[in-house]
Amino acid sequence: MTALVEIDGQTGRLLLTGQFDFSAHRDFRQASDELLGAAAVHDILVDFQQVDYLDSSALGMLLLLKEKSAAAGKTLALVNCRDTVRQVLEIACFGKIFTIR
Amino acid sequence: MKILLADDAEVVRLMIGRFVESLGHQLVLANDGVEAVERCMAERPDIVLMDMLMPRMDGCEAARRIKQAMGSQWVPVVMVTAVEEVSKLADAMETAVDDYVLKPVNFRILEAKITAIERTVQLHRKVREQSDALAEYYDRAEEEKRVAQHLMEQLVNRERLSDPQLHCWIAPAASLSGDLIAAARTPGRVLHLMLADGIGHGLTAALNVLPLTQPFYAMTERGFMLPDILVEMHRKVRQVLPVGRFVALAFVSVDFVNRRVEVWNGGIPDIRLFDAQGGLLKRWKSRHLPLGILPPSQLDLSTERFVFGRRSNLVICSDGLLEARNTAGETFGAARLSLACSNLPANEALARTIGDLSTFLDGASCHDDVSLAIIDIDPSAVLPLPERGEDGDELPEFEGEPNWRYVLSLGAMQLRSLQVVPLIMGFIAQTKSLSHAHADIFLILTELFVNALDHGVLELSSDMKQGTDGMEHYLLERAARLAALKEGRIEIELAGHELAGRTMLRVRVTDSGHGFDRSWLDHGDDAKPSGRGISLVRALSASLHFFGNGNTVEACYLPRGDS
Repeated sequence: MTALVEIDGQTGRLLLTGQFDFSAHRDFRQASDELLGAAAVHDILVDFQQVDYLDSSALGMLLLLKEKSAAAGKTLALVNCRDTVRQVLEIACFGKIFTIR
Repeated sequence: MKILLADDAEVVRLMIGRFVESLGHQLVLANDGVEAVERCMAERPDIVLMDMLMPRMDGCEAARRIKQAMGSQWVPVVMVTAVEEVSKLADAMETAVDDYVLKPVNFRILEAKITAIERTVQLHRKVREQSDALAEYYDRAEEEKRVAQHLMEQLVNRERLSDPQLHCWIAPAASLSGDLIAAARTPGRVLHLMLADGIGHGLTAALNVLPLTQPFYAMTERGFMLPDILVEMHRKVRQVLPVGRFVALAFVSVDFVNRRVEVWNGGIPDIRLFDAQGGLLKRWKSRHLPLGILPPSQLDLSTERFVFGRRSNLVICSDGLLEARNTAGETFGAARLSLACSNLPANEALARTIGDLSTFLDGASCHDDVSLAIIDIDPSAVLPLPERGEDGDELPEFEGEPNWRYVLSLGAMQLRSLQVVPLIMGFIAQTKSLSHAHADIFLILTELFVNALDHGVLELSSDMKQGTDGMEHYLLERAARLAALKEGRIEIELAGHELAGRTMLRVRVTDSGHGFDRSWLDHGDDAKPSGRGISLVRALSASLHFFGNGNTVEACYLPRGDS
């Protein structure tokens, strides 16, 4: 998986591509730390447009990011969730604690 | 470094030897090939400098033997040779010799060669150290895995899965499974089943699900109900797992007597109930976040119930089964699962599903743990209550003070919040002469207490249970009245009498309600849901009497033989 960071004004976008699983751990953390550290960024969007699959360790990483962004006073939303990604998020009922668009 | 120099000419040994020593290296000398091999094995030098032509054994042969003797330890051999020996040297380099210096020896070149070889030797040593460390690490990890596997198996308690109504299967992706299936019966014979799926697979995933087993087994054994056990499991998971770790969990409770299935699903794929023809009777979607994410106060305990009438298969699996991928990249999916695990008896359905998955995968391996449980929901699978022996029917005369008394007086607040029967069962478990009869005692206490609470204090009528949605309606009303309860009291007294070397348990329950018309008890109608409970207590007890206007009941119970 690759994780790209795009910052546009107050919005920081985390563009993920490929399979989001445990092997993505390091890339995801580096990219999310970059957004968390950017003082100008107020809203973090995790973009799943290019993600075909995510597993339970990915859900764990999202929970960690949620904790950290709340601590940094930033909002967090999961966007462009399609097919399998949406299904996995639904089974885990992540809609109850995440903004999913 | 330690350098072995082998040459039959004393003048060369002296000249090169002095030079090598002047560079700060330790020198070992040999006069011919045979001696070179011997000295090499004894001294284990870092480099061997050797003349090509020597008596007894030439340099090339000596080099081969040295390499052989040193095994995996790399000892570079450098030939000191004349130009005319080049072709023989080339042959030797292909098998054993690493480098050469031409005669007459240029000391500047020799020094540079030794330095270059020293670099390679050090690199070699480092790689070797790393590979040794890796091998050691691997051995240790294997040993730890073996111990962990053993521990897991003990804690998960495989033999408890041998419930006649349960058929299940787990295939771990690594040697340890992050999926866990556990099952146990309450003292009232209600089947509890949980299927848990920890993050990832292997040891850490297995560790994630372990904290669930202890509350599950201990509380089920004491007769706690699904929501209470869930609260405790959630607390445990929150307590021991770091942020970002959680456990997806499905908790199923099947009451074969009251024909009721209750499900809490947090993060496990749809649980399905199929009738004997393969028709879908009910689907329980995941309605909750997995355990370990929300703070304890926010845990949603709401469950979904289903009342069954016909024999059917309840199918629960982890996502590893649905997402198992074959070489063509297709997933096994819910449709294949539904086909495989319906319209056959549960045990055959399980075998067919395992077979279908294996055919589907055609040798491809699963990337996640796979687990599957099928419960045979059989309305006739009510375990019969043991008949009382003829001799047990007559209650011997007894008088005098009991050996012990256990008295609880519960006001509205306690009735709202306490799990009364499990609380008393904790005491019974500690009472040696009664602990082996805890299933009977649980039933008697539950029936008498529930009667006192539901019909006495909460004034619920059993007629509400009639009809298809009756039970659901009754339970909702019960929960509402209990939550709003302001007044009311239930007294429970347990007393132990010694009777001919046996302990007789006397249970007396009094409630603050208005009592009831006892006349119907005498022509007991088993078809009425309300009559069943009291008939049950009557069957188990040596005597059962009502007092007052029916709001006090006393049962005397003699444990059956100590078998």
